Amino acid sequence: MPSTLIDKNDIMVQITGLKKKFGDLQVLDNIDLNICRGEVVAILGPSGSGKSTLLRCMNRLEEINAGSIVIAGETLVENNEKGEASYTSPEKARKILSHMGMVFQQFNLFPHMSVIDNLMAAPKIVKGQSDSEIRPIAEELLKKVGLYDKREVFPSRLSGGQQQRVAIARALAMRPDILLFDEPTSALDPELTIEVLKTIRQLADEKMTMAVVTHEMSFARDVASRVVFMADSHIVEENTSQEFFRNPREERTRNFLKNMLY
Amino acid sequence: MEQIMHTSALMLEGSKVTLEIFFLTLMMALPLGLIVALIRLSGLGILRWAMEFYIWIMRGTPLMLQLLFVYFALPMVGVRLNDLSSALLAFTLNYAAYFAEIFRAGIQSIPRGQYEASKTLGFTYVQTMRHIIIPQMIARVLPPVSNETINLVKDTSLIYILAMNDLLRVARTIVQREFDMTPFVIAAVFYLVMTFVLTWVFNKLEAHYAKYID
Repeated sequence: MPSTLIDKNDIMVQITGLKKKFGDLQVLDNIDLNICRGEVVAILGPSGSGKSTLLRCMNRLEEINAGSIVIAGETLVENNEKGEASYTSPEKARKILSHMGMVFQQFNLFPHMSVIDNLMAAPKIVKGQSDSEIRPIAEELLKKVGLYDKREVFPSRLSGGQQQRVAIARALAMRPDILLFDEPTSALDPELTIEVLKTIRQLADEKMTMAVVTHEMSFARDVASRVVFMADSHIVEENTSQEFFRNPREERTRNFLKNMLY
Repeated sequence: MEQIMHTSALMLEGSKVTLEIFFLTLMMALPLGLIVALIRLSGLGILRWAMEFYIWIMRGTPLMLQLLFVYFALPMVGVRLNDLSSALLAFTLNYAAYFAEIFRAGIQSIPRGQYEASKTLGFTYVQTMRHIIIPQMIARVLPPVSNETINLVKDTSLIYILAMNDLLRVARTIVQREFDMTPFVIAAVFYLVMTFVLTWVFNKLEAHYAKYID
């Protein structure tokens, strides 16, 4: 989706002037980034560039030091008069963050619950949905990721790829508007990577808004609508995925791609 | 043989006191230990400090001293408890401190990813602890809790100093009266049976939880 065609109301995540420090270390410096409805944004970059931290700032797993984050038109955090980040009230933040789901590198399924209970736990406990309400939805999601047969087993009995597909279904069970993926295939063998990427691609076809931190160049090229390249706490380059891979503008990007692709 | 049967019947009465102390202590010390562990892990400064102090006192002094303190020293400041209540108070406070440390270690062993996954799904802190962290913690702490529980069976024998007729005191009374060592052997068998049953129960529990542990 070319950025010129995007309606302002379609901006799902709007990040402005974001700064994040771990102690004295500046991990994110003056980041501006918009993610629009239906977009798949791949966030690429070398290790330590701050890309995972950026993703974790979006859903407040990390708190930012300065800047603003607006999600679906609602302000999660903005600068106060002193120029320091100030978050909205906890109740409001909870509501704003319910727009987002997250999929982790290490899956983080609940090991003491069966697959179907992993999907139903949050809708039941957080939203107060009844079993009869959520079970058909959860079963449908498991069919979608191809794991309906495994609904009663515990996560420890599943392969990494299967666990990650359950984790995706679990996030979807909360009906998020945006899905964040933090290196979803980095802990997987190549053949298991394929099945997970297939699931993410399927979501892209359904116009799910997604931000994906990844090292999978072919996935970024084929599935992402836009690529954000980060290095040394900054966004170095940002472009449609076609242009990004065909005509990288920056020297850093070219070096990175050369190392990744060959 | 008849003598052994008679002695055993008397000692069975003593076992009742032992089991009563054991079960009541367990029922109170386990939840109290969990509460202490959760407060200790919370960010509440003064409360956390108070819990650390309590654990230090309970683990740092002999259980026997704690029993004597409750039984003899509390009445001096006007707190008068009957024998059973004194014993229960001392045992519960002591065991809750040990359980609290086991639970704390168990909770801290749960990976951070579990909290993060819960948070991104919208769970509050209380919901996360109740539905995600504590159930997993229980599976992990079963072996050390089993250890403490078996210790408790044996520690109940300390109440002989409060002149309560538990299993060991009954045995000792008979030994002193009849100059026969058999009651000690019978007492040993009684304790062994109790700890055997406990071991069996905990093995069952561990097997139940093992189904989801990698």
